[in-house]
Amino acid sequence: MSAQSISPGYLIQQVAQQDREAFSQLYDRCSPLVFSLAMRMLKVRSDAEDLLQEVFVQVWRQASNYSAERGSPEAWIINIARSRAIDKLRSIRRMEQSFVLTDDPARAESSDNVETSAAESEAKMAMSSALVNLPEAQRRVLELAYFDGLTQTEIAARLKEPLGTVKTRMRSAIQRLREIVRMQAA
Amino acid sequence: MATAHEHWLEQGDIYALGALDGQELKDFEAHLASGCAICEAYVRETRESLLLLHRATTQFEPSPAVKARIFDQIADGGKVVPIGAAQPKRRRTWQRVVGTIAAGIAGVVITAAYYHTRYEPRHSLYTAVIDLLRDPDTRDVALYGAGPTPAALGRFLWNKSGEGHLFVTNLPAAPEGKMYAVWTIAPQSPPRYVASIRTDARGQGGVHINAAASDKPIETFAVTLEPVGTTAAPTGPMVLVSKQS
Repeated sequence: MSAQSISPGYLIQQVAQQDREAFSQLYDRCSPLVFSLAMRMLKVRSDAEDLLQEVFVQVWRQASNYSAERGSPEAWIINIARSRAIDKLRSIRRMEQSFVLTDDPARAESSDNVETSAAESEAKMAMSSALVNLPEAQRRVLELAYFDGLTQTEIAARLKEPLGTVKTRMRSAIQRLREIVRMQAA
Repeated sequence: MATAHEHWLEQGDIYALGALDGQELKDFEAHLASGCAICEAYVRETRESLLLLHRATTQFEPSPAVKARIFDQIADGGKVVPIGAAQPKRRRTWQRVVGTIAAGIAGVVITAAYYHTRYEPRHSLYTAVIDLLRDPDTRDVALYGAGPTPAALGRFLWNKSGEGHLFVTNLPAAPEGKMYAVWTIAPQSPPRYVASIRTDARGQGGVHINAAASDKPIETFAVTLEPVGTTAAPTGPMVLVSKQS
């Protein structure tokens, strides 16, 4: 049986039995997906790699909790990754909010921000055509929610738009995304 | 049925994005917990759509060191069941002798699989470090203890491409809520965070680094003790530093 012919569903069943070989194959298949998401959300490579490690250790420990009824193994793993990344982003924001008043303004020009900008640019270049095809206002709310981990209320505050407008844009973006995905699949 | 669920489906889209909050989030989670199969399927479908969006994008490759770290972390416990061997197989009585031989072969295969799985990620890391050492653009920089850790020592392999590897010794594990942050400093530039490093009970640690290339030559390498999450600029004491060239 070749590695590629083994389904992720079967691999995850084997991981639930603590099968390291299956875990290695699952990692090889899914780590680029998880790492790409982590890079877009956290922007800093070392943080993205830390997140990748945390996610796969959790997959190893909790594979028995996975059920095919919850969706594909990839969606389950990505959901774990997003939840953890959002927790980190919110923690960082809380730290920044409590730090900003006493912070040295010169830090705004720190090299880390330069690195972040570079990673951001790299990530934006890699943004899918599906996102690019969305109207700008819809794409913006989708990115802020999905890649920056902001809630609808935080997005409304960030964009200085009414909450209802943000919700409408979000739903329109998702509906459009469904259509694009269907067209791509056809 | 879907019309009756219009309100919940609207919430479901935003929930799947992770953007639902406040009372709406609580209400929707309670609705899901009540066992609504329609909304559960809708959320699942939306998440799958978002996953397909990922597949259409360029992917980034993590460093081989991450896989090594993960396998180190799960090293305790866990048994090895090779994929093929885990498939249910029927055996006939007259095949017992053949089965015994096959079991012997399977033992060899299992052992080989174990060593491959256990050590392959570590091998990848070693290969990456050896490649660094072979590259003439790699510098080998000594780091010396400073401030609260005068006995600490480090060795920083740094390539101008932004790849590097740091080894440290005699550096006590960071206290709870703190981390060791690794910085590179170019002339007339602020320190740049490139990684965090952990040490074990023996004070030893290592981290493989894949940072963006710097357009200026790095003059100083340093490690500071920071509150967890600090990456914008160093705020804590320096624990290791290279001699400025």
